[in-house]
Amino acid sequence: MERRTVLGILVQLGSAAVALVVGIPALITALSPASARRRGPAWRSLGPIEQFPVGEVRSAVIGRPAAEHTAEGRSGAERAAEGRATAGRATAERATAKGASGAAVAQSVYVWRRSAEEVVVFSRSCTDLGCPVTWDPGSHCFLCPCHGGIFAKDGERMAGPPDRPLYRYANRVRDGRLEIDLSSVPPMV
Amino acid sequence: MASGPIAWLARRSRLKSAWHWVRDRFQLREIWQHVLDRRVAKGSWYFGDGATLFLLFIVLVVTGAAMTLSYSSASDEAYDSVRQITYGQPLGWFVRGLHYWSAGLMVVMLFFHLFRQILLGGYKSPREGSWLFGVFLFFGVMIMSLLGYILRWDERGIYALRVALNIFYRVPWIGEELVLLVQGGPEIGSETLSRIYAVHVIIGPLLLTSLIAYHLYLVVRHSITSPTERERPVETASEQRAVYERDALSKERGEIFYPDTVAKSGLMGAIFLALGIGLTFALGGGRLYPEANLAEPSYPMEEWWWSWFSALAALLPPWLASYFYVGFPLLLFVVLILLPFIDRGPHRGMRNRPIAVVLVSACVIALLGLSSLRIRSAWTAWPQPTPPPVPEGMVLPPEAEQGRQLFARYGCNSCHAIDGHGPGVGPDLADLRETLSYAEMRSYILQPPPGVAMPPYEDRLSEEELDRLVDFVMVVQTARQQ
Repeated sequence: MERRTVLGILVQLGSAAVALVVGIPALITALSPASARRRGPAWRSLGPIEQFPVGEVRSAVIGRPAAEHTAEGRSGAERAAEGRATAGRATAERATAKGASGAAVAQSVYVWRRSAEEVVVFSRSCTDLGCPVTWDPGSHCFLCPCHGGIFAKDGERMAGPPDRPLYRYANRVRDGRLEIDLSSVPPMV
Repeated sequence: MASGPIAWLARRSRLKSAWHWVRDRFQLREIWQHVLDRRVAKGSWYFGDGATLFLLFIVLVVTGAAMTLSYSSASDEAYDSVRQITYGQPLGWFVRGLHYWSAGLMVVMLFFHLFRQILLGGYKSPREGSWLFGVFLFFGVMIMSLLGYILRWDERGIYALRVALNIFYRVPWIGEELVLLVQGGPEIGSETLSRIYAVHVIIGPLLLTSLIAYHLYLVVRHSITSPTERERPVETASEQRAVYERDALSKERGEIFYPDTVAKSGLMGAIFLALGIGLTFALGGGRLYPEANLAEPSYPMEEWWWSWFSALAALLPPWLASYFYVGFPLLLFVVLILLPFIDRGPHRGMRNRPIAVVLVSACVIALLGLSSLRIRSAWTAWPQPTPPPVPEGMVLPPEAEQGRQLFARYGCNSCHAIDGHGPGVGPDLADLRETLSYAEMRSYILQPPPGVAMPPYEDRLSEEELDRLVDFVMVVQTARQQ
C-alpha cells in the first residue's frame, strides 16, 4: 500500500477512536437515569384514614417520604422519631399544597373509600396523555380537561381517547394512616 | 466594489489602507465573491421565509441568552426567577415576550417553509441534502418550542411535560426507560427541570446552530428553485444546474444576491419581527400560570402552536390514539426524509404537481380547522358552578325551577347544554333529536343504555328529585318545539 493510503486509514481510525473515547462515556452517563427504576416499594402517607368517609371520593396530597432524609447509621429510634415528626407535619401541609410532598412538585391523588375496609386510590393523571382529571361531585365522574376523557367513579373509561381505566396505587393502612406505593404506577404518573 | 456605509467608509483615503488590511487578514474577499456578490435566480416575495426563520432564530438566541443570566433551573426557584425576569427586571417583560412570540411565529414560519418546499419540489435533485437538514431542523425546532415553555415551570409547562412523558411511555419495549431518561429519576422533579434546561439552552441551540449552518451552506451551493425550473421538467442534477445558471445570468430572471435578494428576504423577516414586537406590546410578554404543581385542580392548555395536535388527540378513535402518538411523529419523520426519493418526477413548482397542491392545501385546512376546534373544545366535560340560564322569554313553573337547580347539583350541566348554554359533550337537552316520553326519560336517567357515556343515577336520586329534573327538561323542550 502507498504511504498516503496507510496514513489516511490511520488518521480516520484515530479520529474514530477519539470520538469513541469521549463520546461513549458521555453517552453512558447521560443515559444512566434510564435504568434508575425504583427498587422496592416507596410508601407515602395520605393522612389519617378517618379523613376519608366511606362511599366518598376525596382528594389528598401525597405526603413527604418518611425516611428519605435520614442519614445512614442513625439509630432506629431516631429514624422513627423523624418519621413521626414528618407525618405530623403532613396534615398541616395539606392546606398549602406547595412543598407538601417533600419532592420537587406537590402531587395529589383521589381516594375512594369504597367500604370501611376497601380503599381505592386513583392517580389524577389521565390515562390518555396525563392531563389532571378532576372529580365532579355532581355527576360522580372524573373529567379530563384536555381531550375529552371521562372516567366513572370506579375509574373505568366512559368517553374520550383513553384506552384504559385510571391508574390505581397499591395502598395499605399503617397506624391509622392511609399509605400508597409510588412504585405501583408508571413513573410519569 | 460594493455600496453601503461600510464601502463608503472604506473608500475614505485614510481608512483605505486599514480596510485593505482587514480585507486581507480576515479573507473577506472570498466571502464577498462566493456568497454576496454572486448572481442568483430571482425568487418570489415569499422566498424570504427562510431568512425570516434565520432572523427569528437569532432573536431567540439573543433574548434567550439574556434570560439565562437570571433564570434558575432549580425546581423550587425556577418559577420565581421567571416572575423576576418578567416583572422585576427592566424590559424583562419585553425580552421574554419577544422570545415567546418569536418562538410561536417561528413555528408558523416553519410550517410555511416546509409547505412551500413541498409545493415547489424544493427537495428535488440536487437539493436532497438541503432538504434532509431542513427535516432535522423542523423536528428540532418543534421540540424546542415545547421545551421552552416547560422551563416557565408553571401549570401549563408541567402538564406539557407530562403529556410528552405519556407519549414516550407508549413507545413499545423501551417506554418506561425513555420516561426515566427524560425525567432523570422516578418522578418529575428537580432532575427533570435540569435536563430540560440543558437541552433547551445548551444542547438544542448548539445542534440547531450547526444544522442551520450546514443547511445554509447547502442552500448557497445549490441555491433556490429558479423560475425556469418551475416552468419546465428538469430531469437530472446537471440539467438543473444548467437551467439555473441561465436564469441567474439572465437580466429578467436573475439578480445579485447582495443587496437585491438580501433586501427582499430581509424585508419579510423585518415584517415578522415587527409582528412579534407588536404582539408583545399588544398581548403582553407571554402569560404566566400558577406555579408548577400536580396537586391543584387545573385546566391546562398547550401553547397555541400545538392546538392542532391536541384537537387531533381528542378526535381520534381510542383504538387509533395509542398508535398515533408514537406512530405519527415517526411516520412523519420517515416520510419527510424519503420524500425526495418518493417524488421523483421531473416537474417542480405547482403547475404540474396537483398531488402536492392538494396535499398541502389539505394540511393547511386541517391545521387551521383543528386549531379552531381546539379553541371550542366541545369534547370537554367540566363542572359548571351555576345552573344553565332559563331560556329567553320562558317562565319556569316552580317544579321545573327546582329541576333547574338539581340540574347543576347533579352535574348534568357538566356535559349537557340547555338551549346552547353549556358544554356540548352530551346532547343539548332543549333540542333533543328524538324526544323521550316522561317515563322513558326517567328510566334513561336512572340507567342509561349501554355504550352511552353517562353515569347511572339509580342510587343517587330520590323519586321526587328525578321528577323535578324531568319536569325541567320537559318544559324547556316543549317550549322549544312550539
